[in-house]
Amino acid sequence: MLDGILTGVGTALSPINLMMVTVGCFVGTFIGMLPGLGPISAIALMIPITYGFDPATGLILMAGVYYGAIFGGSTSSILINAPGVAGTVATAFDGYPMARKGQAGKALAIAAYSSFSGGTIAAIFLLIAAPSLATVSLAFQSTDYFALMVLGLTAVAAFAGKGNIVKALVMTVLGLMISTVGTDQTQGVQRFTMGMIDLTDGISFLLLAMATFALSEALMQVLKPKSDEDRKREMEAQKNLGSMKLSPEDKREMAPVIGRSSVLGFIIGVLPGAGATIASFLAYGMEQRVAGPIKGKLFGQGSVRGLSAPETANNAACSGSFVPLLTLGIPGSGTTAIMLGALISYGIQPGPRLFVDNPGVFWSVIISMYIGNVVLLILNLPLIPYIARILAIPSTVLIPMILFFSLIGVYFVSFNAFDIQLMVIFAVAAVGLRLLEFPMAPMLLGFILGGMMEENLRRALIINNDSWSFIWERPLTLSILVIAAAILFVPMIMPYLSRLMKRRQEAAGEGG
Amino acid sequence: MLTNDRIGGVLLLAFSVAYGLLIFDIPLLPFQAQAAFTARTMPEALSVLGILLSLTMIIKPSSDARPEVGGFLWKRGAIVCVAMVLYGLTVRPGGFLISTSLFLIACILILGERRLWLILVASVPVVLFFWVLMTQLLGVFIEPWPEFLRG
Repeated sequence: MLDGILTGVGTALSPINLMMVTVGCFVGTFIGMLPGLGPISAIALMIPITYGFDPATGLILMAGVYYGAIFGGSTSSILINAPGVAGTVATAFDGYPMARKGQAGKALAIAAYSSFSGGTIAAIFLLIAAPSLATVSLAFQSTDYFALMVLGLTAVAAFAGKGNIVKALVMTVLGLMISTVGTDQTQGVQRFTMGMIDLTDGISFLLLAMATFALSEALMQVLKPKSDEDRKREMEAQKNLGSMKLSPEDKREMAPVIGRSSVLGFIIGVLPGAGATIASFLAYGMEQRVAGPIKGKLFGQGSVRGLSAPETANNAACSGSFVPLLTLGIPGSGTTAIMLGALISYGIQPGPRLFVDNPGVFWSVIISMYIGNVVLLILNLPLIPYIARILAIPSTVLIPMILFFSLIGVYFVSFNAFDIQLMVIFAVAAVGLRLLEFPMAPMLLGFILGGMMEENLRRALIINNDSWSFIWERPLTLSILVIAAAILFVPMIMPYLSRLMKRRQEAAGEGG
Repeated sequence: MLTNDRIGGVLLLAFSVAYGLLIFDIPLLPFQAQAAFTARTMPEALSVLGILLSLTMIIKPSSDARPEVGGFLWKRGAIVCVAMVLYGLTVRPGGFLISTSLFLIACILILGERRLWLILVASVPVVLFFWVLMTQLLGVFIEPWPEFLRG
């Protein structure tokens, strides 16, 4: 393990990789700051550029973009109350009121220090948890992987929130359906290509990600432009940031919050499907309760704790979400799903073998996360007043640029103009689904896991002589599937159960 | 009542049914008919799941929310989509530099920008810079000129 860590440190600290993580953080911050464009779009936009790099360098760049985009999202949450991503919505609760009090600089500093601390603590947890889990998961068979993928997909749906479970499940199934387009890997027959040669190789994940995230977001902004008032607010916000210094009292208040939120964020991040959004909301809620009635009332009005908690937790969750990706090859979120897609296109199969076969990649990604946090703190924070000027670029110029980079990013991979037409179709469909409030991330996750899920199921059946008995005969597979079923059905059944209990109590009360 | 869930449910039901019908076009060899897992197995399961889930949304929608489409500039969105399609059709025959510059200029104009200097600065130099970056620094060959100017 020590050899691996040293290899990782060596790779991550090489001049080219240091440059990449710095560039990644900058670019990520820029893109993340644009309302609507989050880490998924940011990473998708960078993938075509990384194809020319070696896998470790490409992944390091993407990890930098990931952190940068989260930080950028926090910045737009604080300055203009427009979270770039769902993970930074809770940041706006106290960050924006603080900015309105003329303390935008202080709010940005709290966000940056909290992100740094959360990311650092979580990177240490990752350093410990990932190799242990990778060692254990070496014993996993295809049946277990199939079960794990089912777990990942159901967890994403289950964490979609009350009322959205069925929607998220439908989107997951839609993603799985799209993944079946193309030539069947084992039997070599074409599926759903409708005789079109351009569809023989299937639909690329980059095309789908770019169309459903970056392109559809840009189209949404074309359809519903910002009001003059919003634009005025953005211009003013980036002009008056105020001091970025924190008082000793602020630091004392932040320290325990950071400790608690880091642990919570990391654990939530490791769970497939949960991710940064849930982590930030849970941390916010937890701190509000811990703060007590007097300080709890300050939440939502510019509380230091209220800003520090979600910022720490969302960064810790980002690191946590790398645990299932690196050790099991199963992405826990839309962002890690897109990184998985990138890894596969580099010819690297994530999973327990990554730790054994490509220790350089495994460890350098983990180490670069820490470096990414340092870069964000020492370079991006002081430069925020300048980076925030991106908010002043008129949308009439910015939106065409996003359209251009999205289209050309996909075109440069295949040099097939058909891909551009296909992107437009997917983007229009995504806009329609967004207007109907369907989540996009489960679809992307379903699409990326679809091929692997089918392959593992097929392999499991071959090993078991075409018998489905592996589902109940192998304890590990059965346990994982039972957990998946519980995650999915318990939230659905709970309201009925509690209603039933209430009725019984009422009946018992009346009887007594 | 036409709620978000119901509209989405109907659309996804139609998609799942169409997907299910297309499964019959997947060729199977005679010996594969009895196999436990064929190229049709996963699509069949997905089609059934898709139909069941979309029916659930239609019968029992989770909320009464209706689509909010007021104030949307549909015509503008449609024109941008047409511009993207045209860009896809012209990027190869028209060459990268000219087609991309024209695409950016068209989109900026569609979005309402009328300052000539801004339109020119945000299109031609950006495209040139991107082309130099890709071809000279990253070693990706992109045909710059239209077909009739190529040697």
